[in-house]
Amino acid sequence: MAEAMIECDGLTKRFGTFTAVDHVSFNVGKGSIFGFLGPNGSGKSTVIRMLCGILEPSEGTARIDGHDVARDTESIKEIIGYMSQKFSLYDELTVDENLIFSGKLYGLHGRDLTKRRDALIAITHLEPYVNRRAALLSGGWRQRLAMACSLMHQPTVLFLDEPTAGIDPVARRELWDLLFEFTANGMTLFVTTHYMDEAERCDHVGYIYMSKLIVWGEPDELKKMPEVNPPGTQRLDVTCDHVTTALQAMRQMRGVHSATVFGQSMHLLVDENVRRDEIDQKLHSVGIGHAEIHEIGPSLEDVFVTLSAKYAAEEEKAA
Amino acid sequence: MKQKPFRGLSAILFKEFIVVWRDPMTLFFMFFPPLVEMIAFGYALDTDVKHMALVILNEDRTVESRQFIDRFVNTETFRVVGEVQSIEEMSSQIRKGRAYAGLQIPPKFTQNVRTGYPAQVQLLVDGSNSTTALQALNTALSVALTQSIESLLHVTGRHNVPIDIRPQMLYNPAMKSPNFYIPGVIGIVLQIGTTFATAMAVVREREKGTLETLLVSPLSRWGLMLGKLVPYLCIGMTMATILFLIMRFLFGVPIAGNVLAMMFATLVYVFALLSLGLLVATQAENQMQALQMSMVFMLPSVFFSGFVFPRETMPWIFKAVGALLPATYFISLARAIILRGAHFFEYWPHLLILLIMSILLFAFCALLFRKKIG
Repeated sequence: MAEAMIECDGLTKRFGTFTAVDHVSFNVGKGSIFGFLGPNGSGKSTVIRMLCGILEPSEGTARIDGHDVARDTESIKEIIGYMSQKFSLYDELTVDENLIFSGKLYGLHGRDLTKRRDALIAITHLEPYVNRRAALLSGGWRQRLAMACSLMHQPTVLFLDEPTAGIDPVARRELWDLLFEFTANGMTLFVTTHYMDEAERCDHVGYIYMSKLIVWGEPDELKKMPEVNPPGTQRLDVTCDHVTTALQAMRQMRGVHSATVFGQSMHLLVDENVRRDEIDQKLHSVGIGHAEIHEIGPSLEDVFVTLSAKYAAEEEKAA
Repeated sequence: MKQKPFRGLSAILFKEFIVVWRDPMTLFFMFFPPLVEMIAFGYALDTDVKHMALVILNEDRTVESRQFIDRFVNTETFRVVGEVQSIEEMSSQIRKGRAYAGLQIPPKFTQNVRTGYPAQVQLLVDGSNSTTALQALNTALSVALTQSIESLLHVTGRHNVPIDIRPQMLYNPAMKSPNFYIPGVIGIVLQIGTTFATAMAVVREREKGTLETLLVSPLSRWGLMLGKLVPYLCIGMTMATILFLIMRFLFGVPIAGNVLAMMFATLVYVFALLSLGLLVATQAENQMQALQMSMVFMLPSVFFSGFVFPRETMPWIFKAVGALLPATYFISLARAIILRGAHFFEYWPHLLILLIMSILLFAFCALLFRKKIG
């Protein structure tokens, strides 16, 4: 891994008796994209807020570019950008005014300010909307504007809290293309998301579950973890008609550990000795004629689902 | 890293002026209620009583007794609304609220006055409102006294009364109560219109989540606070100017003293009120709380500032509460400058207190404002 830009060591946040973030440690390399995943309420936003210096950690430390987030807050504010979950734009201001405001907030003025604004309008293709009030923009354009605002001061680290929530797939793809351009220029990105396809595109991913970071690393490495690939099992993709009926049947079959629907197909985790004609036979018995079956590797979702189930089971045993 | 104390101020000013300008509802609610309140208060707080309903029980029925009644009417304090036939009927008229006072002239009134016996005239007054009752009583006493002195002068042959008091009312010669109340009304109405505005302006950002973005930026708290305050200071001063114009041209109360001095005192006062609003904003979680908290300061400002009740007669505890309110000093300053035309050397202590108060309030809220969340 490249030199670390963000370093978290035992980062913890307690609200009264509730521990929202429990001893979270990870590193993010300079110029890389870190995807931060986890269910709602698992502590993602709390971690971001601590890293941005607006929430005091209860325990542990975090550094950004060598600056301690709790002690050196003001230095951090100069180098980070933050796009919050709510797209914090001013509805009464136009696109242009929102950008000018963000620039002024970071001390830009005169030629520098207008040049930077024009550059960001060009990057985000906001030209047709410059004089439109932010309130009148659709979701995708609002999110582009919010991102442009958070980039006005050319931050070296950009935090994006669910930037693609509620955005259509095309806008989502375009946003990610933009993010890759930024990292190519050396910016470090910290992104929270619920989308697995977005996670797959990150250099590193971390998964936070019940306030604890249960795993982090490169997506491909995570897929090779022994917990995800138990010895003596295989993963199969089964494409057939009436997937829901097929799913019921598969779950009753001997040697099948798990069955999940993926669009028009199912993903099965089965014992190695389960033969494909046995699966065919079982599907025939519930009236499904033809099924295409082939072996696959685990997806990131498989990784997270398996690990969080394992973690929950361990917690239960401990309690 | 050393931070500039007002970093980000220009950004907040830029944004805040646009937001205020494009939000007609906020402007409307800042301007409209104070104007209505000013006009309503100004008319309602006229305690000069004129033409109180008076019923007459005249059992004498002579020219002299009628002249005596005329004297009552000529004061303009009373107007005769009817005659009654018995003292019971008179009481019942007052009890029913048809008359405010009753005058009973006994059968031998004229005869007694002429022969030098004391003539007893009975006056019944509805005492439920002590202010107006007192005025009715004073008028009646002075009418009786004037007539008595005239009779005595006639008997003794002297032309002048032994002591002639010549009172001269300074500063409010007509003793009109609006002149006394309206500077206070301006103080109260300004407080209604401004305190909540800055409170709302900050709390709204907290609710919408935009405050989080501001906190992540290198904006200083002084920059944020001053940036929130200045636009509303401009609005507050515009409103104050309109209120002074209403005072001058609708209620006919001119500013006897220096107009610039009055405007400066107003500026300091509005600054203090807006700082109070910011103080509320540092504590309130949502707009509802902000509104309720700004209202907390309202009632004491009406009761303990000397707006209606003189502070001199208050128990020490209420006097102490009043001493902590900006309205107390503004109302005192406004009366000094507007009504008495006081010079700077005569009112500067109150102006200084107001100035210190507004600076302390502003410093206090900037220090209380946490640049963290949660």
